[in-house]
Amino acid sequence: MVKIAFMNLNLKSKKFLIVEDLANMRKAIRELLYTLDVQHIVEAANGLTAIAAMKRERFDVVLCDYNLGEGKNGQQVLEEARFRKLLPYNAIFIMVTAEQNQSMVLGAMESKPDEYLTKPFNGQQLLMRLERNQTKKEFFANIEQAIEAENYSLAIQYCDSKLQEDNRKMHLHLQKIRAELAVNTGDFKKADNIYREVLAARELNWARLGLGVIAYLQNDYESAIDVFQKLIDSQPMMLEAYDWLAKAHEASGDYLNAQAALNKATNISPQAILRHKKLATLADKTGHLEIAEKAYRSAVNLGKNSVHKSSGDFSGLAKVYSKTNNSAAALNTLKDMRKQYVNDPEAELRAAALETEVYQQIGDEEMSEQAYRTAQELCEKLGDKIPNDLRMDVVKAHYLKGNDESANAILDQLIKNNIDDEHFIGNVKAMLGSIGSEHHADALIAPIKQALIEINNKGVDLFKRGKLLEAMRVFEEAAEIMPENKTIMINMIKILIYDLKKSGFNQHKFAKAQDLIKKAAKYGVNPDKIGNMLMQLEKMSAVNESKV
Amino acid sequence: MSTSPINNFPTILAASIHDIKNSLSTARELIAQLAKLDGVAETPEFRQLEFEATRMNSSLMQLLILYKIDSSLFSPVIDEYQVKDILDDVVAQQKGVLALGGIGLIVECADDLYCYCDSGLINTLLNSIINNAQRYCRKTIVLSAYQSGDSVCFQVEDDGEGYPAELIADLSHPVANGPGNTGLGLFFAATIAELHGNGTKNGIVRIDNDSRFEGARFRLFLP
Repeated sequence: MVKIAFMNLNLKSKKFLIVEDLANMRKAIRELLYTLDVQHIVEAANGLTAIAAMKRERFDVVLCDYNLGEGKNGQQVLEEARFRKLLPYNAIFIMVTAEQNQSMVLGAMESKPDEYLTKPFNGQQLLMRLERNQTKKEFFANIEQAIEAENYSLAIQYCDSKLQEDNRKMHLHLQKIRAELAVNTGDFKKADNIYREVLAARELNWARLGLGVIAYLQNDYESAIDVFQKLIDSQPMMLEAYDWLAKAHEASGDYLNAQAALNKATNISPQAILRHKKLATLADKTGHLEIAEKAYRSAVNLGKNSVHKSSGDFSGLAKVYSKTNNSAAALNTLKDMRKQYVNDPEAELRAAALETEVYQQIGDEEMSEQAYRTAQELCEKLGDKIPNDLRMDVVKAHYLKGNDESANAILDQLIKNNIDDEHFIGNVKAMLGSIGSEHHADALIAPIKQALIEINNKGVDLFKRGKLLEAMRVFEEAAEIMPENKTIMINMIKILIYDLKKSGFNQHKFAKAQDLIKKAAKYGVNPDKIGNMLMQLEKMSAVNESKV
Repeated sequence: MSTSPINNFPTILAASIHDIKNSLSTARELIAQLAKLDGVAETPEFRQLEFEATRMNSSLMQLLILYKIDSSLFSPVIDEYQVKDILDDVVAQQKGVLALGGIGLIVECADDLYCYCDSGLINTLLNSIINNAQRYCRKTIVLSAYQSGDSVCFQVEDDGEGYPAELIADLSHPVANGPGNTGLGLFFAATIAELHGNGTKNGIVRIDNDSRFEGARFRLFLP
C-alpha cells in the first residue's frame, strides 16, 4: 500500500486508540493508520473497554465512533473520559460520525470532541485534521496547562502575550478563551469588551451567548433572558442557549419558563442526561409530574451507560410515583435501583427512606417500620457522608414516624448550612408543606436567618473598623455552627485576602485561604467568584516569589 | 384539521432517506474492502461503482440537510476559517476518485484568505459541485477561492461543455434536465448560500460558462 507523504507531524511516537464496535471497520482504520506510519495502536470494541484502556495508558489520539451498538455511545465515552480526566490537555479526541452536521444533534452539555470526522474518510483527511489540531494544541498548550492548574492569572498573562503576536488563524479562538477567562475570574468588563469587539466584526453565536452569560452572572436576568431568547429564535438548534435561558428564568424565579426551555431542548436532543436531571427537578418543583416522570425516566435510562448515573434519579422517579399515589411503581423503581446499586449504602438509604413513606401510604405499617429501622441504621453508618437531598428524605421519614426530635435536629443543621441558598430553603418549605407543617418551616428558618444576619453585620462591622482578627474570630465561631455556610466562607476568604495584601505574604494565611476557596467551590459558590478569589491569591504568591 | 397520511410524507421521506443512507454506508464499506483485492481498484467498472456510490451519498446528504432546513430543525454553526483548510479538506476527499478517473484537480487559494461560514455545509456543497464537474469535464477541474469585494468567492471551473442554457437562466428552481440532472446540487448550493448572511447581505450562487477553459463555472459568494 502507498504511504502518504506527511508534512511535519511525526506519528511514529503517537499512541492511538480506535473505538469501534465492528471488527472489519476496526481493521480498516488500523490499516489506514499504518499507511500514516502510526505504530502504537490499541483497539476497543465498546465504551467500557475504551475507558479501561484510557485508564491504563494516556493516548495522544482517540478515534471514536459515535455509534457503538449496545452500551455507551461515543458521546458517553467522551463525557466519561473528560470527567475522569483521562484525556490530557494535548490529546486529540475525534468523533467519527455517519453523517455531517450530526454534531449538533448529539447535544453534549459540556463535552465536545476536538473534531468530528464523517465516514468514510481517507488517510489524507485524517492526517490533515491531526495536523491542524496538533498545531492548535501546541499553540494553546501553556494557556491550557495554566487553566488546568487553576492558575488563572498566569493563563491570562499567556493569553494576552499571544494576542500581541497577532496570529490571524488563532486570533479569534484566543479572544474566545481570553473572554472565558475574564468571565471565570469575574472580570465582566473585559469579557464584555471582547465579545462586543468580536460581534462588531461578525454576529457569532458564542460571542452573543457570552454577553447573555455576563448579564446572568451580574444578576441582570431580564437582559440575559432577552439575549438567550433572541439567540434561540434565530438558532433553534443551539442547545446551549436553551440551557442558559432555563438558568436565567430559574434564577429570576420563573420556574415554568425554565421548565419550558429545558423541555424544548430535551425534545431536540434527547441524549444529554444532565439536562434531563435538571428538567426533572424543575418539573417536580412546579408540580408538572408528568414531565418530571418522563425526565427522571430518561435520566435513569441514559444513566445506565453514563458517568453521570446516580441513585438520586431513581429515588426522584420513585418520589414522583409516590406523589401520584402510584405506590406499586414507586416500589418497583426502588427495586430496580437496588439491582443496579449492589452494596451501595447511599442507594440503600435512599430506598429505605422512601419505602418508609410509601409503605405507610398503602397502610403496610410493618414494612414501613422495617424500612425505617433500616434507614436509621444506614444513617449511623454513613454519618456526614449523606448528601443534602437525601438528608431531606431522611428528615421526612423521621417526621412521618413521629420522631420529631431526630427530624428537627437534622433539619436545623441543614438549614444552618444552607440558609443563604434560596432553592434549598424552598425545598425545605415544600417538604414540610407536603406533611402539613408549613408553619413549622417559618419557625425553624426565621431565627437562623436572623442569627446569620447578625453575625454577618457584626463581622463586617469589625472588618470595616480594621479589626481583622476580631472579625475573623466572629466568622470562625459561626463556621463551627454552620460549617457549610457559603456566606461565612466567602467572608473569611475576603478577610484573609485583604490581610495578605495589607500586611504582606504569610504562608499560613495563604494556605488557609486556599483551603477555604477549595471548600467554597465544593459547596457550590459560583465559579466566577471562585476564579476571582483564586486569581487574587495567585497574584500575591507571584509577587512573593518574585521577591525571593 | 385533516390528518391524511400525506401530511407525514416529508417525515417518512426523510426517515427513508436516512435508512437508505445507512444501507449505502454499508455498501460503501464493502466497496472499500473490494478495492483491496488485486487489480480491482484500477478497473473502469470499479471506478464507476465507487463514483456512483459517492454521488448517491452526496445527494442523500443534501436531501437530508434540505429537509432539516425546511422543518426548522437546522441552523448553521458559523465560525471563522482559513479558506485554504476548507479547500484542502475537499481535495483530500476527492483525490482518490479523481486520480482514478485521470482528472486533474488544481487548487488556487491565498494562505491569508479567511471567511465566516459553516465549514461542514460548505464542504458538502463543494464536494457535490466537484462531483458534478467530474461527470462533465474532460480532464481538468480548478477549485479556487479569492476575495471579491466584501465577500469571499469559492469557484469551481471545468473544461467541459458548460451548463445548459436553461439552467443558467433560472437556478432558483431545480430544473429536471435529462437523465441524471435533477438540479439538486445547485438548489442545495443556493439554499446554503442563503443561510450564510452577514447583516442584510446573504450569500449567493452564480453559474455561467465563462470558465478559463470556456466550460462551466460555479461561483459561491459568502459575505
